[in-house]
Amino acid sequence: MSVTALRLCLLAAVLLLGGCVSRDFSMRTLPPDTPAADNAAAVKQLQVMQAEAAAAAQRAAASGAANVLPPLTAADVPSLTTYDPWERLNRFTYRFNARFDDFIFLPAADTYRRLPGVVRSGVHNFFSNLTEVVTTLNYAAQLRPAPAVRSIGRFAINSTMGIGGLFDVATAAHIPGVRTGFAQTMSRWGVGPGPYLVAPLLGPSNVRDTSGFVIDYGVNYGINILDLYRGLSGWVLTPLAMVDLRANTSFRYYSTGSPFEYDAVRFLVVRKTLIEDDAQRIWHTARRDPQRPAGP
Amino acid sequence: MKFTRSAGALLGLLHLLSAQAADDPPTGLADSAALRATVYGTPPQDIAPLPPLVPLQEIDIKLPWARPLPGVLWFDRRLRVWFSAQKQPAPLAIVIAGTGAEGNTAKQALLRATLYAAGYHVLTMPSPTNPGFIAAASSTGVAGDLMQDSHDLYAAAAEIIAHLPKKVRITEVDILGYSLGGAHAAVVKSIDAREQRLKIHRAVMINPPVSLFDSMGRLDRLFTVSIGNGAEDVDRLYRRMFARLANYYRASDQVRLEDTNLMAAAAAVLRTDADFAAAIALTFRLALVDFFYEGDLYAGTGIVTDPRHPPQPGDATAAVAQKLLGKSFDDYFNEVFAPYYLAHRSGATRDSLVAGTRLSIIAETLRSDGDYYAQTNSDDLILDAGELAWLRTTLAGRIAVYDHGGHLGNLGDRQQIADMLAMLQGRWQGSRP
Repeated sequence: MSVTALRLCLLAAVLLLGGCVSRDFSMRTLPPDTPAADNAAAVKQLQVMQAEAAAAAQRAAASGAANVLPPLTAADVPSLTTYDPWERLNRFTYRFNARFDDFIFLPAADTYRRLPGVVRSGVHNFFSNLTEVVTTLNYAAQLRPAPAVRSIGRFAINSTMGIGGLFDVATAAHIPGVRTGFAQTMSRWGVGPGPYLVAPLLGPSNVRDTSGFVIDYGVNYGINILDLYRGLSGWVLTPLAMVDLRANTSFRYYSTGSPFEYDAVRFLVVRKTLIEDDAQRIWHTARRDPQRPAGP
Repeated sequence: MKFTRSAGALLGLLHLLSAQAADDPPTGLADSAALRATVYGTPPQDIAPLPPLVPLQEIDIKLPWARPLPGVLWFDRRLRVWFSAQKQPAPLAIVIAGTGAEGNTAKQALLRATLYAAGYHVLTMPSPTNPGFIAAASSTGVAGDLMQDSHDLYAAAAEIIAHLPKKVRITEVDILGYSLGGAHAAVVKSIDAREQRLKIHRAVMINPPVSLFDSMGRLDRLFTVSIGNGAEDVDRLYRRMFARLANYYRASDQVRLEDTNLMAAAAAVLRTDADFAAAIALTFRLALVDFFYEGDLYAGTGIVTDPRHPPQPGDATAAVAQKLLGKSFDDYFNEVFAPYYLAHRSGATRDSLVAGTRLSIIAETLRSDGDYYAQTNSDDLILDAGELAWLRTTLAGRIAVYDHGGHLGNLGDRQQIADMLAMLQGRWQGSRP
């Protein structure tokens, strides 16, 4: 009964918002710019970068560690043309996602942003805390006990002292969270990214990373912590989690206005994955080097 | 701001993937410091004081004079601009972006912050060469004619301002722009002097070109010298840059590429003058690819699109993009721009069309009206010595010329912002020694 009511509300909201978007003139309030803080962060970032560059040079001079790695040569570089066997479907999904953003996701994210900051950070922390469960499992599956222990520790601290995960006490106590998922586990064990895929709602990705996301969700659904993932609470929490995710994701469909945006996004997303996979592979090969820090 | 930063990061990554091998000869087109400043921009510690918060609204507007929208550009139906409103009555500053750029670039955000802090409402608009603007607001679909593009920009600005909520009270309108947007800003003010719809008071051009035709020609030569011409040159460049970037991440301890690491990655990937030159040239070439395509589509010149079988939204475009990457501004002028204007403007000649891309079309106004100002750098790579001298003479002292910064590499620094605000407020005393 209540699920049906929820569905009807959702439909009404979609129709209402659809009316808003098609007008000849519309104004949408965005989160304010924070130039002073952004610039201060850039200054700090520059100092960190310079320090890191100096440290890396020192490390290389001390152990020659950077030179132990075989450099990637131009001949090893994957082709400039991207393998996209489902291009027509991908383009269709890209357009669908853009419209879904316009009519549903972004208006919902705008409404969500009007909530007080403390409520939003509570919601965000709550969902982040729940992901520690799959993060722990995946670190275990990657045979990385240290971050697995750190992750389960964060879950314990935040679920208790952080009142069910509403506050991120662990980060404040200098135990930062580094998320991982089944996508990275597959990558760790040599599963390649597969063809480019624009996933419905989730956006530009590849077959491996998208299925990793789905499998992580399936694991959560299977474990069903506190009975949150099924029944009515699932119907409320899953959309809320997605809106929270959207409100914290800066990617915007067609923000370039360019007729070649699909190509540009595909190019960058695919190359980014390839470079990350390569860096991760090398990191796992080289991580016995005691000179290198604990890593990601 | 958030998503623009991400778009900026995407472009930044394109920058990274655009540099050239270490052993290439120097470009001979600009000095090292100018090239580096142009790519890196003002160091964050040299940026003028910025306010903590700037409110921001995104405005979408459908303009009645827009050409019928091709299906393949369905997402560009409405023009998108960004607006920051003061609570009290205040002057309005309109800020026009540079070649190909949308209306919320990092450079515009920087100008918006300083203008907002100085008490202005701020409206940031895309360049008339931006693909979104061409589809939603151009009356021709063929970008590049300074007067025609500025007319469209002026009409769009007037339409947007007429739609602003009543509670936004505007006491005066000023206009500024950077790079090609600087030239547009000045021409828009000269149009307004006749039409009087906005009563624009002052105009400030930041690093403007004197001739779009010659500046783009210079950037095309930079492309040829630093990258080459054929598809295999672009492929070779891509392979080198990909390998460098991958090796940079192999040596670092990061396995995730984050926006905040891009500067470090750029420093690792771009090494020589030729690298920086290639990054700059490729940025302009990518902007050209967009407006070449749309010009061809609207003018029906059939260079990369078939007028009888218009492209559809689901069609693959990679091959077209590849072909356009090898096309220069000169090609655009000869294959799309000139054919369109020669057919649509009576009495037009090739020479009159080239002249129509020059700031000298409003030379008399620039000379006699004391409300036009400019800021540029003596090492700006889009100007030659003669063009800089022309700006100095024509503006007769209403110009600040800084020694360093290349093209926009000092945008946002303390001196540039202080001078810009002084110019906008009519209290500029001329360059200090």
